[in-house]
Amino acid sequence: MTPDLRCYGDDIQSVADLVPDFDLRSPMDVESWYPREWQAIADTLGFAQQLAAAPRAMPTTPDRITAMTLVGLMAFEHALRAGRPGVPESQARVQSAVLQAMTATGLERGELWRVTADPTTLATGACYAEGGRSLRAFYPDTAPGYFGDGWNGPPPRAESACGWQTPLVLHLGTFPWVYSSRLGHIGPGARWASSASQPALEGLHVVASLLEPATNLRQDARQVAAIYRHFATHTAPLVAALPSFQPGRAEAGRLYRRGRFLLAHQGSLHVAALDGPRGRLAASAYNYILRRFASFFAVRRAALRSLATLPFEVQRRAATSADPCLRQQVEGVARAS
Amino acid sequence: MRRGIWMALGATAGIGGALLVSRRASAASAASPAASGATPETPPTIELAGLPRAADVSGDLVRNWGETPVDLRPLFMLAEETARIRGASRVLAVIAYRESRFVTTAQNGNAAGEQDERDSSRDAYNNRKASNPPLRYGEQAAAFGSGGLFGALAPYFLWTGVPEVGDKAPLLGAPPSLVFQPRAAAFGAAVYMQRLLKQYRVDDIPDIKVGWANPGLLGKGRGGETYLSVRKRFLEDAKTVGIDLADTNTIPAKLDASAWPGVPAVFAGLVGALPKDLA
Repeated sequence: MTPDLRCYGDDIQSVADLVPDFDLRSPMDVESWYPREWQAIADTLGFAQQLAAAPRAMPTTPDRITAMTLVGLMAFEHALRAGRPGVPESQARVQSAVLQAMTATGLERGELWRVTADPTTLATGACYAEGGRSLRAFYPDTAPGYFGDGWNGPPPRAESACGWQTPLVLHLGTFPWVYSSRLGHIGPGARWASSASQPALEGLHVVASLLEPATNLRQDARQVAAIYRHFATHTAPLVAALPSFQPGRAEAGRLYRRGRFLLAHQGSLHVAALDGPRGRLAASAYNYILRRFASFFAVRRAALRSLATLPFEVQRRAATSADPCLRQQVEGVARAS
Repeated sequence: MRRGIWMALGATAGIGGALLVSRRASAASAASPAASGATPETPPTIELAGLPRAADVSGDLVRNWGETPVDLRPLFMLAEETARIRGASRVLAVIAYRESRFVTTAQNGNAAGEQDERDSSRDAYNNRKASNPPLRYGEQAAAFGSGGLFGALAPYFLWTGVPEVGDKAPLLGAPPSLVFQPRAAAFGAAVYMQRLLKQYRVDDIPDIKVGWANPGLLGKGRGGETYLSVRKRFLEDAKTVGIDLADTNTIPAKLDASAWPGVPAVFAGLVGALPKDLA
């Protein structure tokens, strides 16, 4: 049976096709698909050397995908530790606590890709202290952007010590580009590291976990599809205006589209950007974000295809998911088997 | 874009390596031998290999790079490793920030208001063409201004390596637009840095940028207003990019070019080889 992702919209199947299809039941497929995804992540986020130096397998887990996740996260952690702290220790500690709370809730709700919370209900009110002042630990991402039309409400129920007037919204599925704006060549989440705390690691952990079948199936894919559609709507005209890349006829330094992705011929993807009404979007960020959507749906498709071989608990959760498309697919798989 | 002046850039000789040339390049270059002295109407399009990747270098690409674009770091590191000048990569990154803001096709001289830059490249060409080997695209270079990641004046860029290997310098037959290709620009920058370090009094890291602006400032101009302002601006640039010039783990207090392997080796390592009819 070939799982059909069209329940999420006609465009979703083609998003999944932006990365190679694979079969979770095939060790060879798994051994090639996941390292390729990690390589793409590491190339963009700048820890390719650490990934290359990491051990190929983790002796602590027999599961190949989990092992690759651990390897990738370990490589990222090494890079974070080697780099310069991006935030003060007090902010990093609050960020870690907030991320842990929000990811736990997001996972439970099936909304891990974009997590939202009333900041005043979170640890320290999502505030941190510095120089005698109370500051927001995250950017209040409320303006219309590439992932949504803004989040102005509901306002926090309690008064915020650091001035929160909106929900805290984080797009962890596209970490480190966690805000609907600020899509420059360095994702804001990549700076979430101090000398002692690495909240950025928790952010990338979400990206990695969404590539694992169990967590992928817990995510309500309708949320991902809606965010993708928003992203695609606002980037498609900008991408369409670019010339199509033709080998041998390209101009140095120019930004091209190659398929759905961008290519800066003899130039830096981190320097090149799309400029639109929703702001500047670094070409590297665009490619990375698009690939996150593609990978999510590719894993969803692969997980559905091999649903009967997944652990019973994963199957049970899928069968009772709030996502009607997923339930429909599970029923189809059950009928077919 | 920032104005960059390379006062005495040399040349090199090319060996080995893979490189792609477009069909247009082959056709154009076949028609216009350098020996004829004629300037070809349309310079060929040359496609060097793309940017190097992390796997192409062994040096660290995480520590003390600040906001240097991730995909340009391997290029700077490859220049350092090929030139065997430890610490050069981060210094080149700061220079590239000033000269091009990391835009590989940055150009001074292509806009109406940039006549002064075109004048500089014209002067550079006229002043040296009698003593240097001929450039196949000399007239275009003279009218080009400066450009590329490191803000090279086009004639000096194309004469890169001439002091070292004379008429075996590898870019004599290349068009000035080659400076837009980051590997070629990095080659020119590596040769120039080596020359500054070997032939001029360079007391510390900021002196390298002073020499980049004008090596004369490292001699009689030392301590003058321009000398000081270039140093100050360089230090500000390093801070803006986020590169700590005092981090001796990644940048020695003084760079050392004593292990320089020679222009041909650096060209081979960074660029590869130009097509035979351009080399």
